[in-house]
Amino acid sequence: MQIICIYLRFLQKGSDGMKLRSAAALLLALCLAALPGCTVRGEQEEPALSVVTSFYPMYVMALNVTDGIEGVRVDNMAGQQTGCLHDYQLQTKDMKNLEQADVFVVNGAGMESFLDKVVEQLPDLTIVDTSEGLTLLESGTGEEHDHEEDDGHDHGDVNPHIWVSISDCIGQVENLSRGLQQADPANAARYEENTRIYVEKLEALRDRMHEAIDPLPHKDIVTFHEAFPYFAREFNLNIVKVVNREPDSQPSARELAETIRLVEQAGVAAVFAEPQYPESAADIIAAESGATVWTLDPAVTGPDDKDAYLDAMERNMETLVQALS
Amino acid sequence: MDVLYSLIDTLLPFEWTEFHFMKNAFLAVLLITPLFGLVGTMIVNNRMSFFSDALGHSALTGIAIGVLMGVDNYLLSMLGFALIFAVGISAVIGSGVSSADTIIGVFSSTGLALGVVLLSASGGFAKYSGYLIGDILTVQPEEIALLAGILVAVLLVWGLFFNRFLLASINGDLAASKNIREGAVQKVFVILVAVLVTVSIKWVGVLIINSLLVLPAASARNVARSMRSYHGWSVAISMFSGVCGLILSYYLGTAAGGTIVLVAAVVFALTFLLGFVSGRRRAA
Repeated sequence: MQIICIYLRFLQKGSDGMKLRSAAALLLALCLAALPGCTVRGEQEEPALSVVTSFYPMYVMALNVTDGIEGVRVDNMAGQQTGCLHDYQLQTKDMKNLEQADVFVVNGAGMESFLDKVVEQLPDLTIVDTSEGLTLLESGTGEEHDHEEDDGHDHGDVNPHIWVSISDCIGQVENLSRGLQQADPANAARYEENTRIYVEKLEALRDRMHEAIDPLPHKDIVTFHEAFPYFAREFNLNIVKVVNREPDSQPSARELAETIRLVEQAGVAAVFAEPQYPESAADIIAAESGATVWTLDPAVTGPDDKDAYLDAMERNMETLVQALS
Repeated sequence: MDVLYSLIDTLLPFEWTEFHFMKNAFLAVLLITPLFGLVGTMIVNNRMSFFSDALGHSALTGIAIGVLMGVDNYLLSMLGFALIFAVGISAVIGSGVSSADTIIGVFSSTGLALGVVLLSASGGFAKYSGYLIGDILTVQPEEIALLAGILVAVLLVWGLFFNRFLLASINGDLAASKNIREGAVQKVFVILVAVLVTVSIKWVGVLIINSLLVLPAASARNVARSMRSYHGWSVAISMFSGVCGLILSYYLGTAAGGTIVLVAAVVFALTFLLGFVSGRRRAA
């Protein structure tokens, strides 16, 4: 405050060019000093284990596995509303976040396209790849292939939306738990216990969903953005067509027309959009073919709540029962 | 609307008009392209193509502001920002401190950068990248009505102001002697361009909107002999490129906006050759 007063008095006195210029220089120096960049690093209380997850589904899993364990902090790198990490650009705060982390939990299977850069920058960071050992589907064709076989080369051609199937989600939760147990052996038993509880909940939900979905008469669905092949494999749904595989591209007129004909011929009654993406294309297809648009949630955005995945799947079950009966 | 649909069905019983979304897109193209052809003539005359490009970029910031304020319909926030932006640019240019293209460059990059920063801060830019390319196929009947309204409004403004626009753009002193305030006339035109760009950005896209404004008028200049034929050619070329591009994109499975611009670019190349050859013949 004092400095500003002195500065103002200085300004009043000075009127010729020389003084004005030095006044400007002083102002600039003051501004620089006030920049938050110059604040001294504050001492933060270090948690025993700092876990950073790449995006929302991993975050929900980690919340469950670390539930109630003191000294473990879970942070989500991409914001809660970011959705899938297609084309995600790492921001400065993300790298800062990772720098302080002990464990980085990723989905793997090509979802985190920036992972190579992270590994390069932070070679000491422990990375838990939750897709390890799971049977992945190929992008586009939907053919299965084992993770081990193609380890080492690019995962760009596999579908990364593994967590949308409950069985694969369980596999990911177990991988995550194993990774945390290795990183923090002191709490291993508690991670184990939390994992058991969460997996039980997931299995119970899966059984209920099978009971609800298996007897449904129609199994043909049309989806947008390739998030549901794993889900469809689990519940024997037949994805007739995936319109715009990448969420940010618009389907061309020909693709729209082909899809409409396909929907009409196959007698598909339901078109499924996702809450994360605009429904315009889905609306067009539905309006032209007489099908109805429903919303299926791949649980990729949502509240900061450890039951968010369970709740989202529960809603998906209700939607499917209504849409396909 | 149904009358129009059945009219299209009887007049154009082709595969590409089978679905409503193509009929809607066709109608939207028929309304947007004459507007672009018309307004483009004056943009090319006044060497303002960089200015309309900057306006397109500012739409991104407008969307970002809309997102921050939590509005669902970004049209209002885009329009508001584009108007401030446009009037700001022309005021700074009017001050004569720096050359026009430098000032537009400064505004354009600031607008774009602000848009990118704001949009990526609220979680992922990918969601909005649709605005970069645009999507004419999702146009709704209400929006077609809006476009029709804008076409009528622009035609009215054009009829009232055209002579003044023209005089101000050819000779400012002469215009002033006839009691035409150049600054005011320019503002009206700038606002017109801002409205047109903002309203159509959703269907045409930030990246290619300027090509649609500039290419038809530039092609028309190659072949036109008078002011009247310049306008006629520009509107005709614009509509031809629009319809042709839309139909081609249907059969080739390509992005509609990009195909329309490519057709316009081919037309420009042809008219350029035509103008070149006939110019040599006249000279000889």
